[in-house]
Amino acid sequence: MNSMRGHDDERLDALLRAYRDACPTPEPSANFMPNLWQRIESRQSFTFSFQRMANAFVTAAVALSIALGVYMSIPRSNPSYSQSYIEALADANTLDIPEYVSPVRLELSDSGR
Amino acid sequence: MRVDFELIKRAQKSDSAAFNEIVLAYRKRILGTITRLIARPEDVEDVAQEVFLRLYFSLDQLRTAEVFEPWLHRLTVNAAYDYLRKQRRRQEFRMSDLSEQQVMLADAAAGGKVEHDEQYRKKIRESVQSLLGAVSEADRILLMLKEVEGLSLKELEKIYKVNENALKVRLFRARQRVLKAYGSAATKERTGQSR
Repeated sequence: MNSMRGHDDERLDALLRAYRDACPTPEPSANFMPNLWQRIESRQSFTFSFQRMANAFVTAAVALSIALGVYMSIPRSNPSYSQSYIEALADANTLDIPEYVSPVRLELSDSGR
Repeated sequence: MRVDFELIKRAQKSDSAAFNEIVLAYRKRILGTITRLIARPEDVEDVAQEVFLRLYFSLDQLRTAEVFEPWLHRLTVNAAYDYLRKQRRRQEFRMSDLSEQQVMLADAAAGGKVEHDEQYRKKIRESVQSLLGAVSEADRILLMLKEVEGLSLKELEKIYKVNENALKVRLFRARQRVLKAYGSAATKERTGQSR
């Protein structure tokens, strides 16, 4: 069994040597360098346009944040914010309103008779 | 080292002439390695260009001259690995692909009986590719670099940044798997002959 394994080992080594011979180094084609530079440039232009897009996005986000910040920092002129809830409630339901405070007038006319 | 570090520094500063010189110095070696790693002549240039493309965009990360070659080798290994993974998705190499005829060819290769014509080379390539289907793409590349490219364990250590013992274990296991696949194909052939 071991001798068989050893035999296979040798044969595998021989096969791998034959494989090396069967895969000779090819000559590079005339287009190798032009194609390489074409790929480099296309990758660069992709990266460049991506960077430009990212920059534009960041600029827009910063501008929006500043605009929101400015908007939030402007004091509101709405009077309801200057009063507390209780004050606002008291104002809305004041007891001085004549129709609630004034006495009820009963009209005792003769019509019912 | 085939180029001096000054040239690399110039290339790092986007000097395209310097980068061209680096490519010309290593192009053939990279083409040879990729040919043996992927065994598909029609795609070799494409993968080699991918290696140099990755080199171009990562050159500025290089700090010392000594690491340049192992680093270029690593880029080669990674590009070949990516290619093989894509290929595996397209076409699975199975052990059943190793026909009896291919085993006979392997035997003949051991004895040097057959002439090295293109047809024979193609069959040898196919046989080895079928055998290498028994291991993962990563192990296949490691095995190729050691057994076919003839890189030493020290060189592999620099490429993979893994200690020598771990590499030895991994190589041993990968070789055992390939050997087992080879053994079963050879047994199939022997039983076929005895019938």
